[in-house]
Amino acid sequence: MKREIIMPKLGETMEEGYIVSWRKNEGDRVEKGEILFEVMSDKTNFEVESPYSGYLRKILYQAGDQPIPVTTVIAYITDTPDEPIEIEKTEEEKKEKIKEEFEVRVEEKEKEIKVEEKERIKISPLARKLAEEYNVDITKIKGSGPEGRIEKRDILEYLEKFKEEYEVLKWTPLRRIIAKRLTESKQNIPHYYFQGKIIVDNLLKIKENLEKEGAKYTITDFLIFLTSRVIEKFPLIGSSVINDEIRIYKNVDIGLAISVSDGLVVGSIKNANKKTIEEISEDRKNLVEKARDGKLTEDDIKGTNFVISNLGMYEIENFYPIINPPGVAIMGVGKIDKGVFVEDEKIVVRNYMYISFSFDHRVIDGVYAANFYKKLKEVIENPAILLFKNV
Amino acid sequence: MRIITYRQALNEALDEEMARDERVFLLGEDIAIYGGAYGVTAGLWQKYGDQRVIDTPISENAIVGVALGAAITGMRPVAEIMYIDFIGLCMDQLNNQVAKIRYMFGGKCTVPLVIRTEGGAGRSLGAHHSQSLEAWLIHIPGIKVVMPSTPYDAKGLLKSAIRDDNPVVFIEHKMLYNTKGEVPEEEYLVPIGVADIKREGKDVTIVTYSRMVLFSLEAAEILEKEGISVEVVDLRTLLPMDIETVVKSVKKTNRVVIVEEDCKTGGTGAEIGMQIIENAFDYLDAPIIRVAGADVPMPKSPVLEKLAIPDVERICKAVKEVLK
Repeated sequence: MKREIIMPKLGETMEEGYIVSWRKNEGDRVEKGEILFEVMSDKTNFEVESPYSGYLRKILYQAGDQPIPVTTVIAYITDTPDEPIEIEKTEEEKKEKIKEEFEVRVEEKEKEIKVEEKERIKISPLARKLAEEYNVDITKIKGSGPEGRIEKRDILEYLEKFKEEYEVLKWTPLRRIIAKRLTESKQNIPHYYFQGKIIVDNLLKIKENLEKEGAKYTITDFLIFLTSRVIEKFPLIGSSVINDEIRIYKNVDIGLAISVSDGLVVGSIKNANKKTIEEISEDRKNLVEKARDGKLTEDDIKGTNFVISNLGMYEIENFYPIINPPGVAIMGVGKIDKGVFVEDEKIVVRNYMYISFSFDHRVIDGVYAANFYKKLKEVIENPAILLFKNV
Repeated sequence: MRIITYRQALNEALDEEMARDERVFLLGEDIAIYGGAYGVTAGLWQKYGDQRVIDTPISENAIVGVALGAAITGMRPVAEIMYIDFIGLCMDQLNNQVAKIRYMFGGKCTVPLVIRTEGGAGRSLGAHHSQSLEAWLIHIPGIKVVMPSTPYDAKGLLKSAIRDDNPVVFIEHKMLYNTKGEVPEEEYLVPIGVADIKREGKDVTIVTYSRMVLFSLEAAEILEKEGISVEVVDLRTLLPMDIETVVKSVKKTNRVVIVEEDCKTGGTGAEIGMQIIENAFDYLDAPIIRVAGADVPMPKSPVLEKLAIPDVERICKAVKEVLK
């Protein structure tokens, strides 16, 4: 009869042990209770007694530094010295078997890889180079060559199709700046908006009369002139938020949005509230010219907290511009149009324009802004007021 | 311009160079009284005499050995090996001596030697007189290998070969001797090592040389009618090979057919194709196709002989294949 000797579990935490020595040799007679082998666990060494009497028929694990999991069969004891036994596979042999299985698996894997290779995308060297150059994903292309090989024409056709949908425009530095600043503005500044209709009959009359005298000014010139004088009385409108400070300025500078070939710039009319309409007009012309030639200086773009953006000449009725940081307010000017108004219970036709505002609510509350607007409307509708009283 | 045969163009080249430089002399089998197996040296013995046009015994080994000795001692011999098929008999002289002597003696001598020979199939001359063995020769560093396709190139290149201070193997084609082409009256040279675009095209590049240039041009003519534009590059010199011109063409067309009369395996086309891959891999849009001679001893039967080398039809087919 064959009995198994196993690696004993000599403590709660013991997972594996090392055989330090066998006290009997294969074929030796062994009595139950005799020391058969010595084991080292992670704590200490134990001498292990034979649980059976018989012959130590086969040692499966020799002494050594190989860890053996507990309950693993490490030897057989038989009743007679020569009875035949079927020896279970030793760890070594098991490993061999695992290795074989592993190798089989590797072979299978290799087969899979070969299959994958069969499905490899066929592409000519030239087409591959083109695809890399234009960043084309070749898995999206069906090759028209033999066996579906992707060739130059396939890449070019693909690119052509792409082209029909869109072309890629490169960012210019100016566009990058505009994108960054306005995104920041819209994300960080709590905008609110309003608009008003302003009758401009009187303003147009003045403009006309001056033109007859040979002095040509634009609506923008007048608006700069008038707005700057109102801001003088509402200094928060021209303030800025820099380094967590609300800065109120002694001078009233007006920013003017100027369209240039690759975007938009804002130039500054300095001390506009102290300047004559003629001076303002002169300044504006210089500024626009410099902007379009790309020659604005550092000084020209300083002092652009409050900005006037006039799209009236493009037939725009009304729009809400985004505040130009660090400023806190911006004014949008629409086109001048004729409208029907009721005055003294009579229907009259007047020239009017929409003027809209975006304000930073962190700094300017609605009532302050509304008062500013009311005053501005008053002076635009009736510029003669400025003749006899300050704003 | 006047039209003369390839044979006559070669004869003129020899005549002019002999007249120009008295160190130039000819030696070979039956080249004097008989005028050469293909008549290239006709009339030159009568004009220049025994001293400068020498009939030799039937020993290729001796012909090249003597020519080498003469070359390193100051003469400019032009030796004729009647058929390239016999080149094996003088291969030791050619490979081990002619090609190496200048190098092994540290440049102390030059080897201004031309070995004229002819090859190719087409006359039903069987396996010993119809081979294209240029691939053997381009494997020998130290010599130049020239294979002209037109009378113009033949004359200009032979004159350049005779004036070259290094050994040149000049391989004519037996089927080209009677072909005709424009050759100017006035003197000119064609440089060794410079390929020639024989026909411009944009869809496919055919790289070829010698007689196969004519086949390729015929094929290009046919294909043109089908809307396929073929560029034919005539290498003219196989060693050194003008790969720049080939690459320039490949960059334009992205597709290559190589047409060669020699056996496909280990042939000249293999070298051409490999150099294209090394230099223009990224410009290839399809695998290179070779139209080459069959890997067989050249058959005697005219029918089989025709099948054993490229023809116009197969070149057309290959061009269409490379365009698929």
